[in-house]
Amino acid sequence: MARAERRRFPARRLGEPRFIAAVGIGLGLLAVWLALPPIAARAVFWPIFVGVLAVAAGIWSASRSAGRVGWGAVASGLLGVGFGIFAMRASTTNLEGVFVWSTIFASTLRYATPLTFAAIGGMFSERSGVVNIGLEGMMLMGAFFGVWGADKTDSWLLGILIAMLAGIALALVHAIFTISFRAEQIVTGTAVNFLALGITGYVFVSTYGAQGAPTNIPEIPDVSIGFLKNVYFLGPVFGTLNLMIWLSFALLIVSYFVMFKTTVGLRIRSVGEHPRAADTVGISVYRTRYAAVATSGALAALGGAYLSLGFVHTFDQNITGGRGFIALAALIFGKWRPFGAFSAALLFGFSSALGDHLPDFFKQGSALPQLFNALPYVLTIVAVAGVIGRSIPPAAIGRPYTKQ
Amino acid sequence: MEQRPVLELQGITKRFPGVVANDQVDFDLRRREVHALLGENGAGKSTLMNVLYGLYSPDEGEIRVRGEPVRMRSPKDAIDHGIGMVHQHFMLIPVMTVAENIVLATEPTRGGVVLDYGAARKRVGELARTFGFRIDPDARVEELTVGQQQRVEILKALHRGAEILILDEPTAVLTPQEASELFEILRTLVREGMSIIFISHKLGEVLEIADRITVLRRGKAVETVPREGATEEGLARMMVGREVLLRVDKTPAQPKEPALRVEALHVLDDRRLEAVRGVSFEVLRGEIVGIAGVDGNGQTELIDALSGLRHPSAGRILLGDRDVTGSSAGRILDLGLGHIPEDRQRRGLVLDFTLAENVGLHDFDKRPNSRLGWLFPRRMVRRAEELLRQFDVRGGSAQTRASALSGGNQQKVVLAREMSRDPKLLLAAQPTRGLDVGAIEFVHRRLVEARDRGEAVLLVSLELDEVLSLSDRILVLYEGRIVAEHGPGATEEELGIEMTGGRRSGAAA
Amino acid sequence: MSERPVPEPSEPDKAAVPSPAARLAFYQHAGGLVTPLVTMVLAFFIGGLVVLVVTGKNPLSTYKAIFNGSGLNWFFPWISHADRATAAFSLQATLLTTTTLILTGLAVAFAFRCGLFNIGGQGQWAVGSIVGVWVASSFTGMPAVPHILLAVVLAALAGATLASVAGILKATVGAHEVITTIMLNWIVFWSAGYLFGETGPLHSATQAFVPVSSDIASNTHLPVFWGSKVLQGLDVGFFVALAMLLVFWLLLNRTTLGYEVRAVGFNSSAAEYAGISVRRSIFLAMAISGLFAGLAGAVDVLGWEFRIGVDDIQGSTIGFIGIAVALLGRNRAPGIFFAALLFGALINGTSTRNLDPNVFKPELASNLTLMIQGLVLLFVGADVLVIYLWRARSMLKVGRGKREKSR
Repeated sequence: MARAERRRFPARRLGEPRFIAAVGIGLGLLAVWLALPPIAARAVFWPIFVGVLAVAAGIWSASRSAGRVGWGAVASGLLGVGFGIFAMRASTTNLEGVFVWSTIFASTLRYATPLTFAAIGGMFSERSGVVNIGLEGMMLMGAFFGVWGADKTDSWLLGILIAMLAGIALALVHAIFTISFRAEQIVTGTAVNFLALGITGYVFVSTYGAQGAPTNIPEIPDVSIGFLKNVYFLGPVFGTLNLMIWLSFALLIVSYFVMFKTTVGLRIRSVGEHPRAADTVGISVYRTRYAAVATSGALAALGGAYLSLGFVHTFDQNITGGRGFIALAALIFGKWRPFGAFSAALLFGFSSALGDHLPDFFKQGSALPQLFNALPYVLTIVAVAGVIGRSIPPAAIGRPYTKQ
Repeated sequence: MEQRPVLELQGITKRFPGVVANDQVDFDLRRREVHALLGENGAGKSTLMNVLYGLYSPDEGEIRVRGEPVRMRSPKDAIDHGIGMVHQHFMLIPVMTVAENIVLATEPTRGGVVLDYGAARKRVGELARTFGFRIDPDARVEELTVGQQQRVEILKALHRGAEILILDEPTAVLTPQEASELFEILRTLVREGMSIIFISHKLGEVLEIADRITVLRRGKAVETVPREGATEEGLARMMVGREVLLRVDKTPAQPKEPALRVEALHVLDDRRLEAVRGVSFEVLRGEIVGIAGVDGNGQTELIDALSGLRHPSAGRILLGDRDVTGSSAGRILDLGLGHIPEDRQRRGLVLDFTLAENVGLHDFDKRPNSRLGWLFPRRMVRRAEELLRQFDVRGGSAQTRASALSGGNQQKVVLAREMSRDPKLLLAAQPTRGLDVGAIEFVHRRLVEARDRGEAVLLVSLELDEVLSLSDRILVLYEGRIVAEHGPGATEEELGIEMTGGRRSGAAA
Repeated sequence: MSERPVPEPSEPDKAAVPSPAARLAFYQHAGGLVTPLVTMVLAFFIGGLVVLVVTGKNPLSTYKAIFNGSGLNWFFPWISHADRATAAFSLQATLLTTTTLILTGLAVAFAFRCGLFNIGGQGQWAVGSIVGVWVASSFTGMPAVPHILLAVVLAALAGATLASVAGILKATVGAHEVITTIMLNWIVFWSAGYLFGETGPLHSATQAFVPVSSDIASNTHLPVFWGSKVLQGLDVGFFVALAMLLVFWLLLNRTTLGYEVRAVGFNSSAAEYAGISVRRSIFLAMAISGLFAGLAGAVDVLGWEFRIGVDDIQGSTIGFIGIAVALLGRNRAPGIFFAALLFGALINGTSTRNLDPNVFKPELASNLTLMIQGLVLLFVGADVLVIYLWRARSMLKVGRGKREKSR
C-alpha cells in the first residue's frame, strides 16, 4: 500500500534537512528576540514555545543527516528558551518561582527516561517489521508489576525483573497473534493495551484494595557522583540521578551498537525490510520477530518500572497515561534510530518539564502549559506527513510474513 | 567433455491444483557449461527452478547433485549443496550496503556477534576482483542500477559457495548494454569453474550464451539441443509447438476511420526507466490490431498510458479526434474507451462486489443507475441481468458475488461491462489468460463481433496463437519499440523471432 | 534523503497479504453469526477464568450480577416491581452508553469499509464534545431548536475536520492514517486540558478552581423520553444513533459515494481502473467517519453530560471501545447495534453505581470489562486469520486458472 504512494512522491526538494535546520536557527533567534525588551513578550509562553520548535527542527534535521547545522538549530532554540526564561525572571519579583536551568534539565531527564526505554524497545519490534502500538500496555505492565514485585519480594531489583517478565509476557501475546496468527497488528496492539489496563487494574485493586499501593516499597536508588556534586550546573543535573537514568544512557549506546554493529541487528533489520530476502538466506523470520517483540516488551516494561519505582514511587491505575504513545511518537520522530529516538524523547521530556515548571510564571493556575504536552504529537504528525525529510518506516512493517 | 553432470533432475513432476506445471521433466547440468532453459511464459521454467531451489517440493522425481540424490526442503538446503539463485525480483535489501547484503546470514564477526564490517568489505572486494566485477562494497543497494544490483545478487550466491548458479530471466530487467555486460560476467564465471542454468524466453540471447538448450513447453521438456546447429527458427518451433490453433472464423476486416492514434509515445515504468520508447500506430474502426510481444517489453506501460493510469513522458494519444494525453482514467473511459484489464481479479473486478455492482463499475454514477448521488440498485440489477444473459454468464445471478464465479464467467462479466458501453476503442489486454478453451472461444467471438459492428479493437496478448488468429494487423513490440508490422498472414516463426529480438523484418516504427 | 526505491514486491507476498478491507470482506461473508458469537464466548470464558482464579468467586454469579447491573433484566417479565424500577434506571444508563458506542463504532466502521483504520474515534468524539459544549453554552439567547441544531452540526463538523486531517494526509502524502489519528487523539487530549483548565478559554465562568466547562444553556438539553430529566434518563440521542445506523447503511448501499468507498475498500486497484478517484474516496470516508464520532460527542454533551470536565475527556476510552464495537459488529449496521449494546451493558453493569458490591467489587469488575474488551479485540483479529487461511485453502482447490505458475 505505502509502496505505491511512496513511488508517487519522489524525493524532492525545497529543502533537504539543511533547510529545516536553517529554519530552526531562525526560530531560535526569533525566540530570543521575542524575549528581549522591544517585544518582551508578556507571556513567557511564546519565546519558549518558539524555542522548543527550534529545538525540534534541529533534532529532526540532525537525525536526517544535516548534522552540524541541525545541532546549531538545537543550540539556538535552547538559547531562545533560555532567554525567554531569564527575561521572565528578570521581570518577575516572584522569587519563590525561581528555578534554574539545572532543575529543568534534571526534570527533563526524569521525564525522558521512561520514553527512552519504551521507544528503544519499540525500535526493536518495529525494525523487525512488527508495529507495536502495545508499548503503552507493556509499560503499564512494567509499572505495576515492578511495584508489585518489589513489594512482594522486598527488593527493587527483583521488582524490576518481575516487571520485565510481565512486559515480555504481554509482548508474547502480541507476538503470537501478530506473527503466528498473522492478525492485524494494530488491532492486536490496541487489544494488548486494553488487556494491560484490565490486568494491572484488576490485580492492583484485588491486591491493594482501596488504600492503594503501599508507600514503603523499595525504590530504585539514586546514584550520586561525588566529584560532580559541586560542579557548577553539571552538579545539579547529573550529580544525583536515578540508577535507571544511567541505565537508559547505557541502553542507548548498547542498543545502537546491537542494532547497527552486530549480526543480530543486521538480521533484525533485514527481516523488517525484506523478510523474503532474509528467509532465502536462511534467517528465520518468525524467530527473529518473536525475539524482537519480546525485547520490546522487556524494555518498555523497564520504562514503566522506572516510572513507578524510580520516579513516582507508587502505582496508580493507568499511571502511564499515554507515555507509551509518546514513546511511539519519539520513535517515529527519531526515524526508528536509537539516538534519534533518544533526542526526541529528550525533547518531549523537555516539553513536559517546561509544562511542569512554567506554571510558576503564569498567572496562578494557568492551563496554557498543558499545550506543551501536545507538542510531541504535533511534531510527529509533521514528521510523518513530512514535506521535508519524511519519516519512513521499515519497508515490511505491519505486514505478516508467510513462508512459501 | 563427457563427464558426470554436476546436477541432474529426473522425472520431476509438480502439480498445482488444476494444472501440471512440470510433467516428468529431465534436465542435467554439466560442469562449466551454460545450460539454457527456454520456453514461453507459463511453460514451467520457474516452477522447475523453484523445485530445484527448495521453494517447492516436487510431487515426483529426483534431484541429484554431483551424483548424490538430495532433498531440497528449503533454500538453505539448496545453498548448502552449492546452488545459488538469482531471482527475477532481487532478494536485496535496498537500504543496506552491498557488503551487508552479500554477507547477510554468513557475516564475518569478531567474538561471534560483532559484525566485522571491515572483513566483510574485504571479502566482497576480493570476490568481486576474482570474477572481474566492478562494484563498491559500501554503496547502498538502492543507489545502484538494476544491472549492478544483479551483480550483487550473483556475488551473494558466490559468497555462499555456489558452484551452480540459476539465473531466472536475468535479462528481463536489463538494458541491452547491461545484458551484454552480464554475458561477459557469465563467461568469466564459467571459466572459473561455475555451472550456470540460464532461464529465458529470448531466442537471440540463448543462442549467444548457452552451450546447450533445453526447451520446455507446457510443463514438458521437449528437447535438449547443443547450441551448434540450433537455429532461431528451430527453437521457435519447439517453443511454440504444433498445437491445434484456435482459428476464428472471420471475414476480412473493413477498416474505416481511425479510432485511436498514438504518436511518438514515450512512457516510463515504475523505476522511471523508459519502457515505451517512441511508439506510433493507429487502430481503425472495424479492425483488430494485435500487439505481440514477450512479457515485459512495454505492454503494461503502453496499456496504462492508453487508459489514463500512467502519464506518458512524451507523445500524444488521440481517441477519435480528441487529444486524451494525460487525461484521467475516468475521463478516458467516459470518452469511449472500453478496457479489459490484463488481470481481471486484481484490476478488472471487485471480487467482493455482486455482479450487478461489477457491471456498473464505470456507470454507477450516471443515469439510470443513479441520480444526484442516489443509487438505484434495482435498476443496476435489472441491467446486469440483461447483460449477464446476453453474455451467457453462468454460475450466478446479478446478486452473486464475483468471487463465486469461475474465471471464464468472471471474464464474461468484464466483457459485458466493457462491450455494453459501445466503446469507440476496445482495449483488450490478455483477455483469455487462464481461461479454458470454451471461454477462450467465447471471448474471441465477441471480439470479432465487436469489430464487425465497427468498433476498433486493440488486442495486447502474450499468446502468439491468439494474436495470430484474431488480428487483422499485427504489431510486434520489442523493448518498448514496434519492431515489425504484419498483415494477417504472418507466421509464428517470423513473429517468434521478432518478439525475441532476433532478425528483424518489416518496417520498424 | 529519506526517499528510497522500494524493493520489488515478490508475487507471493502480495497474494498472501490481502488488504485489510479484503480480509474484512471475507470475514463478513464467512461464518455468519457464528464467529462473533464464538469470539464473545471465548472472551467471556477467559474473563470468567480470571474471576475464578484470581478471586475464587463463581464467574456465573458474577456475570449474572453484571447482567442485572446493566439493567437488561428489565426485559424479564418475572422480576419484582422494585427490581424493575432499579433495572429501568440501569437500563437507561446502559442505553446512553450504547448510544455513544453506536456512533463511535460507526466512525470506525465507515472508514474500515474504505480500507482505512480510523483509530482516531476517541479524538473525534472529544472535539465533538468540546465544540458541542462550547456552542451550547454560548449564544444563550438563541431559541432552543436552532441552538441545538447548531451545536450538533458544528460538533459533527468538528469531528469530520479532525478526521479529515488524517484523510488528507493519507490521500496526498500517504501518511499512515493509524499514526496520524493516534497523534490527533493525544493532541485533542491535551488541548482539552488547556481549554477547560483554569484560565483556559472554555473554562467555567462560575467554578474558578475546577477544570470544567460552563454548563450548557438549559434549553439545549435534549428531550428525555424515558426516566428522569435530572438523573440521566434516556434522551432522544438514542434515536439519533439508531437513525445514524440507518444513514450508515443507506450511505454505503444507496449512494454513489458509498459505492465508491466500498469499491476502494475492497479493491482500490480495480476502482482506479474503473475511473474512481481513490484519493477522493479516502478523504470523504475519513471525513464521514469523523462526522459520526463528532456527533457522538455532541449527543453526549447535550443529552446527559451538560458540561465537560477535563477528566471527562482525558479519562474516557469510549472512542477506543468503538474499535471493538465495529470489529465485533463486523462493520455492519445491525452488528454494530448489538455490539454497542453488549459493551454498553458491560460498562454499566460493572460500574460502581450499578453492580451489586456484595457479589463483586465494581472496581474489579470494571477492570474485568477492560480485559474482556481486549480479549474480544484479540480474537476478532485472529478470527480474521483463521477464515483467511480457510479461504486460501479453498482457493487452491478451486484452482482458478494457471496464472503465473511459471514466469
